[in-house]
Amino acid sequence: MTVTTFAAIDIGSYEVCMKIFELSRKNGFRELNHVRYRLEIGKGAYSSGRLEQGMVDAICERLKDFRNMMLEFGVTEYRACSTSAFREMVNPVIILEQIYQRTGIRVEILSNAEQHFLGYKSIAAIESGFKKIIQKGTAILDVGGGGLQVSLFDKDTLVTTQSLKMGSMRIRERLKELEKANTHYDQLIREFIRNDLTAFQRLYLKDRDIKNVILMGDFLTDTIFREEIYDHIITMSEFTARYEDTVYKTDQMLAAEMDIDPEYASLVVPTMVICKSFLDVFQAEAVWVPGVSLLDGIAYDFCEKKKYIKSAHNFENDILVASRNIAKRYSSSKNHIQGTTKLALTIFDSMKKVHGMGARERLLLQIAVQLHDCGKYISMADVAECSYRIIMATEIIGLSTEERQVIASAVRYNTTEFVYYENFDDGAGMDRNRYLLVAKLTAILRLANAMDRSHYQKVEGLRAVLKDRELHLIIDSSRDISLELGLLKDKVEFFEEVFGIHLILRRKRRV
Amino acid sequence: MDTKKFEKPEYYVNRELSWLKFNERVLSEARDKSLPLFERLKFLSITSSNLDEFFMVRVASLKDQVHAGYEKTDIAGLTPKEQLREISEQTHELVRVQYSTFTRSVMPALEKAGLHLILAHEELTEKQKEFADRYFEDNVYPVLTPMAMDSSRPFPLIRNKTLNIGALISKKDKKKGKEVLEFATVQVPSVLPRVIEIPSGKQGVRTVILLEEIIERNIGKLFLSNDVICAHPYRIMRNADLSIDEDEAEDLLVEIQKQLKKRQWGEVIRLEAEEKMDKRLLKILKTEFDIRNEDIFSIAGPLDLTVLMKVYGLEGFEKYKSGKYVPAPVPQFQTDKNIFEVIREGDVFLHHPYMSFDPVVNFVRQAAKDPGVLAIKQTLYRVSGNSPIIAALAQAAENGKQVTVLVELKARFDEENNIVWAKMLEKAGCHVIYGLVGLKTHSKITLVVRREETGIRRYVHLATGNYNDSTAKLYTDCGIFTCDERYGEDATAVFNMLSGYSEPKRWNRLIVAPIWMKTRFLEMIEREAENARKGIPGHIMAKMNSLCDPVIMQALYYASSCGVKVELVIRGICCLKTGIPGVSENIHVRSIVGDFLEHSRIFYFYNGGIEEFYMGSADWMPRNLDRRVEIVFPVEDEKIKAQIMHVLELELKDNVKAHILQPDGTYEKQDRRGKQPVNSQMEFCREAQELSGKKKKEQKENSRVFIPAEPLEDFQEE
Repeated sequence: MTVTTFAAIDIGSYEVCMKIFELSRKNGFRELNHVRYRLEIGKGAYSSGRLEQGMVDAICERLKDFRNMMLEFGVTEYRACSTSAFREMVNPVIILEQIYQRTGIRVEILSNAEQHFLGYKSIAAIESGFKKIIQKGTAILDVGGGGLQVSLFDKDTLVTTQSLKMGSMRIRERLKELEKANTHYDQLIREFIRNDLTAFQRLYLKDRDIKNVILMGDFLTDTIFREEIYDHIITMSEFTARYEDTVYKTDQMLAAEMDIDPEYASLVVPTMVICKSFLDVFQAEAVWVPGVSLLDGIAYDFCEKKKYIKSAHNFENDILVASRNIAKRYSSSKNHIQGTTKLALTIFDSMKKVHGMGARERLLLQIAVQLHDCGKYISMADVAECSYRIIMATEIIGLSTEERQVIASAVRYNTTEFVYYENFDDGAGMDRNRYLLVAKLTAILRLANAMDRSHYQKVEGLRAVLKDRELHLIIDSSRDISLELGLLKDKVEFFEEVFGIHLILRRKRRV
Repeated sequence: MDTKKFEKPEYYVNRELSWLKFNERVLSEARDKSLPLFERLKFLSITSSNLDEFFMVRVASLKDQVHAGYEKTDIAGLTPKEQLREISEQTHELVRVQYSTFTRSVMPALEKAGLHLILAHEELTEKQKEFADRYFEDNVYPVLTPMAMDSSRPFPLIRNKTLNIGALISKKDKKKGKEVLEFATVQVPSVLPRVIEIPSGKQGVRTVILLEEIIERNIGKLFLSNDVICAHPYRIMRNADLSIDEDEAEDLLVEIQKQLKKRQWGEVIRLEAEEKMDKRLLKILKTEFDIRNEDIFSIAGPLDLTVLMKVYGLEGFEKYKSGKYVPAPVPQFQTDKNIFEVIREGDVFLHHPYMSFDPVVNFVRQAAKDPGVLAIKQTLYRVSGNSPIIAALAQAAENGKQVTVLVELKARFDEENNIVWAKMLEKAGCHVIYGLVGLKTHSKITLVVRREETGIRRYVHLATGNYNDSTAKLYTDCGIFTCDERYGEDATAVFNMLSGYSEPKRWNRLIVAPIWMKTRFLEMIEREAENARKGIPGHIMAKMNSLCDPVIMQALYYASSCGVKVELVIRGICCLKTGIPGVSENIHVRSIVGDFLEHSRIFYFYNGGIEEFYMGSADWMPRNLDRRVEIVFPVEDEKIKAQIMHVLELELKDNVKAHILQPDGTYEKQDRRGKQPVNSQMEFCREAQELSGKKKKEQKENSRVFIPAEPLEDFQEE
């Protein structure tokens, strides 16, 4: 039996924590250690965009401890992630390099979309009934220090996921001055978030019937409801009772009562109010608190990649649905996208040996196809640039910022001249590997897109056969495809340049 | 659980006075003529060292309270002042009994046994005098530092607990032209043995003299130009309670080192002086030490009876000592299998000193060299000098294991020692942690993380006693080895917590103080009470060192009043009273004072028939439950439960070494007439030997069986 030990590290807004797991095909995953340390990293990051040296020292001390703890369990692989606190910083890369030099631990910054995607995975990780739950209207609410993520599921698919900048610590910092002048702190918070909340309700929730509400277990949520969550369910009356018992209390009182740090206790009321506001909107009767964290999600993701477990829920589909919804918002042609997707995937699948790309890249290609036209919504004349901007400004659940950039660039070069690496400077600092990926995706996207130039889906079938260094594309169409064939020429050139193979286009003979 | 009505002061005994009762019980062992003579010396010596510690810690703390104007009464309704008054009275009486035991009972018996102890140098024969003087010149004189006090020299610093000789010397005052008396003092050097054997001149008799007598005899040689009017030994005790304000201490280690230096400068809280001391000399001491009459003890005999331990150590006289007990091997480990394999077969129970402590040392030793072991974590509170465990931990670190050691720097009187170990371990590459600010780490736990074929497995040792191979031969303690994953997970969480990380969201099995333990105990006591009210039998048995937590005692009174049978085996302090009508009629308290120091903590709850057993490091004292990191763990293996039940039952049957607490607050031994004597400690010794002997025999018989060779891969793991 192969057994691996894996460590997941999360540098959050107010806590640094690590879980060590033992992973095996037979037993799935087993938690060996869970350590948490309170550290208000978000405080400096949200207010000034910087960390004080003392805070960096403190992070390094913890990470050094974590390193030792990893050795204690013979950990061979780890993934260390930072979240909103680092995203908000002006110089995160510099700080991360310092951390690496001092501790040997490479920390990556998760995009908001990635972070919450991992969050869902964590629910799936502990709850086999996840798939069943999300058959009905389900809302997942994840209140963090910096932001809040609310996602709606229906019929086993993700309907929407929105990120709102209403984290508990952010609200506390914003309202710090006002708090002193106001005796009803809870109402102050309610008013502060009302606007965003109604917008969310109007745009996304509409009249959707929400049956289940899942509250993602941050440590704070566990602290507030420490007594109520033994069955992982909080009824609305329990919630209200706790709410009324909590909101009028001072930080000191809460700190003493819950036996936590006053600094920490000051996050209790904002968190309560945020949750309450959403639960009211959802008209929830009970809340499920699975008590999972990002760490479980990181481990689950690792397990999936290493094929230790197979998930019942198709997470990739969530990403595709999310990007389809974006395309829909910008009125892209559904048929054209479907047709192009089919073509692109046929080409992709036929030449795996040539391009060396895998499942993840295949997913990126699909999303690139989904979104390649979205810029038209803004300007017909400047589709490439507008598409690029839209994609860069839109969060796509489950994708990292880097991946989004790859897609955006591929879409941009779909219709504009490709810029070579040596001249490549879009200010976002793309590295070699990602640049190559952009080139490959662009080549395929261009080819597939050109085959449906007229948007009539004239190509009814496409067969791609790779023979040595030749790729034969056999097009099956009963209609006149001279427009497509004519336009394909310059796309073919680029395709051949990128993959170093010869492309032969043939029309299938009809009998 | 309404316990309000049990809060009355008259239901409780002051803890200091209860402690003095314990020392009386130890003293009664010294008076017990049925014991071998030299064992009685040992007990007498223990009463003396006990009393020293009591003064340094408890009396000192009360004095501090009085100075601070603290007037709050204790659980028994006494103010600090009243407590001190009562303590002074009772300690004077205790010391009187101590010395009357020594002079009237022990000394004549020693004489009979052929050991002549010279208490006054005047008794020496000519030949002996010659020997003593020669010894003084060769060995003592070079290390003496006499100090005098006069107008230009202030009163010298007298160190805590040292033995000194004070003298008055007469000097000619040239101006006034008359004789004046001056004070001089010399410390009896602690580097030299205090008991010195001298030629006896008689067949079959050995003679010893105390070092201070030799110095006294030769004191004139120290002040050559002056006349020595008188010379008498004296000894002082200073306030030694370390109360560090940890919130202010940047670095705990530095702070404690500072405190150690300060300790010698504390306020003098007790002066012991020879009974015959010159009044003028005593007056000087009294003024200089700023001490009141009730804190002065006139001693009719040698000061500091801990010297009797040295007399015990004299070679020979074997027939006057109990035979040394050799701990029996633990049956499960009487095998060729490696220790981890044995633990995997099932939890193992250890009962020291009846059973050997070796498996615990071996656990760390084997872990240090086992290739599969990744990490070792251990809490160290008090370690022996030259501790094999420390050596094994250092070795493990050198072998590349992750070793984390919690060294408790605040272990009373061991701070200096522990700092040395801590530094040594750090040098060897261990991660040394010092526990949590404001909380002493008193729990005893070892965790070994091992990578095995099936994945990570954690081995845990949990105990009631310290990881100290020396005291494990003298203290009765219990422990278990287990590789139950729920314990393992908790053990990891304990060490996370001790390293400053947040406590876990829940514990599987362990009950940990200061946060969770007290409520758990109260719940369990209440559960028995509620059962009893419903007519289900309620039964609590608990064994510990001290019981003085007010809330727990109230709960016990409540349980008793509901009809729960409460049987307590409490060696030391017990602030609870038995036999109060309607309050504590169902409570039985006994104290076992024997050759071994009772030290284990065991808790039993009948729980309506689903009996629960716990063991751990915590007494039912506020300091253990509220201000320390302690662990109490449930015992789940049925075989071990039966073993623990047997321990409790046998101790409750003891009628030789057990003293029963009477309703009037005194302790009395049981009337044994017509009963078989039961000495639980001796019984445990016998049983342990029998068990290991049986195993040995089995093995011998089995060795006749031919064992077929097995393919090699079966042994791969080891």
